[in-house]
Amino acid sequence: MRQWRRVANEAMQFSVSTAKFIALLHVTDSYLFSPILAHGSSMLPTFNFSGDVVLAERLSHRFGRVVPGDVVMVRAPDDPNMMVGKRVLGMEGDKVTFVDPASIRQYRKTTVVPKGHVWIQGDNTKESFDSRSYGPVPYGLIQGRAFFRVWPPNGFGFVDD
Amino acid sequence: MALRYLKNFLASEAFKNAGREVSDVVPRVVKYICCLQLTILTSSLSLCMLPTLGLAGNLCLAERISTRFDKLGVGDIVLLRSPELPRKIVTKRLVALEGQSVTYTVDPKNSDRSETVVVPKGHVWVEGDNVYESTDSRKFGPVPYGLLQGRVFWRIWPPKDFGSLAQSKGKDPVS
Repeated sequence: MRQWRRVANEAMQFSVSTAKFIALLHVTDSYLFSPILAHGSSMLPTFNFSGDVVLAERLSHRFGRVVPGDVVMVRAPDDPNMMVGKRVLGMEGDKVTFVDPASIRQYRKTTVVPKGHVWIQGDNTKESFDSRSYGPVPYGLIQGRAFFRVWPPNGFGFVDD
Repeated sequence: MALRYLKNFLASEAFKNAGREVSDVVPRVVKYICCLQLTILTSSLSLCMLPTLGLAGNLCLAERISTRFDKLGVGDIVLLRSPELPRKIVTKRLVALEGQSVTYTVDPKNSDRSETVVVPKGHVWVEGDNVYESTDSRKFGPVPYGLLQGRVFWRIWPPKDFGSLAQSKGKDPVS
C-alpha cells in the first residue's frame, strides 16, 4: 500500500513538472519568440529553398514597432491556416509602386496603402505570391518578426533588413 | 560624497532584503502565469463589452476554440481585430462565410441602394446589428479569417440577461 502511494506521488510530481514545462514553452512560443522553418523560394536569397530555421519574435508587432524592411510572419489572407514569411515594404499611408505579376502588360501601378494595412513582398519577386497579387494585408494578420537565423550554420546570425 | 551614500545604501541590509524578496517573487509570478496559460479557461476565454443600442454595456464571455478549429457559423457574434485600427477589437455578427454571396444596403441612412458581393476565399463578412451606426464589412470589405479572435457565447452582466447568447439575428443587437 505504501509502495503504491509513493509511486503515485512521484508520478504526480513528474506530471506537474512536465505540465509546468509545457506551459513555459507555450508562453515563450506565443509571446516571446518561436522557431520557424522557412521553406519555399519566395524569399531567395534571404532564405534558402531547402529550409532555414529562423527565430521569429512576437513582441514587435504587439507594440506597433514593425517598420518597412522587416521580414514578418503573416497569416495568409487567402488561407488562415497557412503562415507566410515576407518583407514589409510599406506601412499605412505609404505609396507603393509595383508590377502586378498577373497582368499581361507589365506596366507599373502605384497605390497608397490604406489605414491599418501593410504591403508585403517576397524578396524573390519572380516567384512570390504576395501583396502584388492580393493587395495590402491588415496589420492584425502579422504574427511575428524574423530576426535571427539558427540554421544553416553558415548563415547563423541576425536577419538583415 | 553622493557616491559614498550610494555605496552605503547598496550595501545596506534593507536593500539586500528587498532584492531577496524580489528574486523570490519573480519566479513565482512567472510560474503562475505559465500555469494560467495551461488552463483552457484563460487562454480560450476573454471578456468583452457588448454595447446594446448605446445603453449600459454588457459583459460577456468569448471563447477562442471555435475560431481556431474553424467551427464558426453564420449568425455567431464574433470578436475581431479591426482592419483599420489593429489594436482595437470589435464585436460584430458573422453574416457570410467564404464563397457565399452577400446582399447589403450600402448606406441605409441616406439611400436604399444595395449591392451584392461574393466573399473571397479565406475571408468572412461581418456586420453590426445596428446597420445605421455600425462600421463593418459594408465599409471596410470582407475581413480575412485570420483577424477573428473569438466567438461570444455567454452574457454575464447585467444579471437579468445572464445566459447564453442565441444565434437569432436582431435579438441581441450589436452596434
